[in-house]
Amino acid sequence: MKYVSVEFVKLQRSLSWAVVILLPVIAVASGSMSSVASDGGLDDGWYTLWIRSIGFYGMALLPVGIAILASLTWRTEHRNGNWNALMSTSVPTSAMVLSKAAAVAILSALMQVVLVLTVVGFGKIAFDLPGMLPGRYVVSSVLVIIASVPVAALQSGLSMYFRSFAAPVAVALVATGVSTTALLTDMTAIIAVPYATATYATQLGTSLVEASNTACDAAGISAGTAGLVAGVSAAATTVIVIVTTWTLNRSDTRA
Amino acid sequence: MRIIANEFAKMRHLRLGLLTLVLLSGVVGLTAFRGLASGMANDLSDPAGFAWKILLAGLGFSAGLISPLIIAAIASRQVEAEHSGNGWLLSETSGVTPGRLCRAKFAALGVLVTTSTLAQSLILVAIGFGVGIASPVPVEQWLGYTTAIIVVNLAVLGVHLLLSAVIENQLVCMGIAVIGLFIAVFASALPEWLVMLTPWGYYSLVVPADYVGTDLVYLDIPYLSVLALGLAGAGLFTLITARFDRREA
Repeated sequence: MKYVSVEFVKLQRSLSWAVVILLPVIAVASGSMSSVASDGGLDDGWYTLWIRSIGFYGMALLPVGIAILASLTWRTEHRNGNWNALMSTSVPTSAMVLSKAAAVAILSALMQVVLVLTVVGFGKIAFDLPGMLPGRYVVSSVLVIIASVPVAALQSGLSMYFRSFAAPVAVALVATGVSTTALLTDMTAIIAVPYATATYATQLGTSLVEASNTACDAAGISAGTAGLVAGVSAAATTVIVIVTTWTLNRSDTRA
Repeated sequence: MRIIANEFAKMRHLRLGLLTLVLLSGVVGLTAFRGLASGMANDLSDPAGFAWKILLAGLGFSAGLISPLIIAAIASRQVEAEHSGNGWLLSETSGVTPGRLCRAKFAALGVLVTTSTLAQSLILVAIGFGVGIASPVPVEQWLGYTTAIIVVNLAVLGVHLLLSAVIENQLVCMGIAVIGLFIAVFASALPEWLVMLTPWGYYSLVVPADYVGTDLVYLDIPYLSVLALGLAGAGLFTLITARFDRREA
């Protein structure tokens, strides 16, 4: 825990809050605006608002946001000789890798919380929807938070490997594109890949694409799908942390 | 010319060839997938060229979804090297001012982006022939869209080169790219003046085919607006990089 709080101290002046707040807020705003512009309103209330908000976000932006946060977390280590300081510190490599991944995972969890709050805010204030956001979407959000953990660990590993800020972000965009495409073509085995797990979790209880000819009915929220997301996420996170720790253990100082 | 060749040499270590390949394969792959998923294969013999329209509509969508972020990453990587290695100062002491260096980077990266954009269209036309579309290729639409999207991609590249050169924190540059992605995808929900004021909005403006009601139709590409974007972009890029030349590294 001490190491995780150190990571947040390093992030204090990094503008990470801008990603955590702005990305989900813009996703919800643009999704609901396009819904109003194209259809004239939210026909199915909270359901339409949720699908419009989470659809594009889950299929493209969530992993990109996590990738930016991971790049930010490792940015300090790649600057001003900090890498050599990192290599010579007495902190165990595994603790370092875990604390970085945990910091990114916590920030991505906050991003999902901001998304839910923004959807509620838009639903109640902007669209005056009756009632409250259905509980199944809160459950779905908890699963998104769980499914974001392996993505956070993987992107943290990539950001450790790449000195560049932008390269891991590009990798995340492409990997998400590939996994979303695979999900749309019903290649269910792709769920084992962290990016697909996250996209799959965001689409639980919704429909992936509205047009009927490209539709892939997303699974409902059940104990089975929740168990699948949790199990795959736990297994993937364990493997990624072990591989990242092994790689960092074999890294050397840089000139 | 020597400076541009030097930029190509830098690219080898930065794996920019790989990123360009990602740009190309991402746009082509997504377009082809969307085409097949939209039932293109069932309408190959349609004399009105339904299959070509599907490919063009998919290309317009895919370019807006993938290009803003990958082009930003390409520009960021090429400029980031100067920030981290104090390359601005090093180049200036050897007679290459920051503005000149930026123009050389634009020329070198422009070749990559233009080649990739041309290749996107050529590969998709080849795919169209390969799957057996019977109707003639709508040459005017393909040529018009390819020319327009090259201008848009180069304008976005120019903006990101300048942003990455001015702002050392690449988070800001990638954040702006994500906002650009939103503008490109959700342009139809935004005010037209905002769409036309940003280069990312043009990804939506130049879409060559789309559904109007239930009909998939060719759309008119606003060539004049694209020309204005190209001229304004070239003028601003030259002006701003000229100011870089008078700045101390």
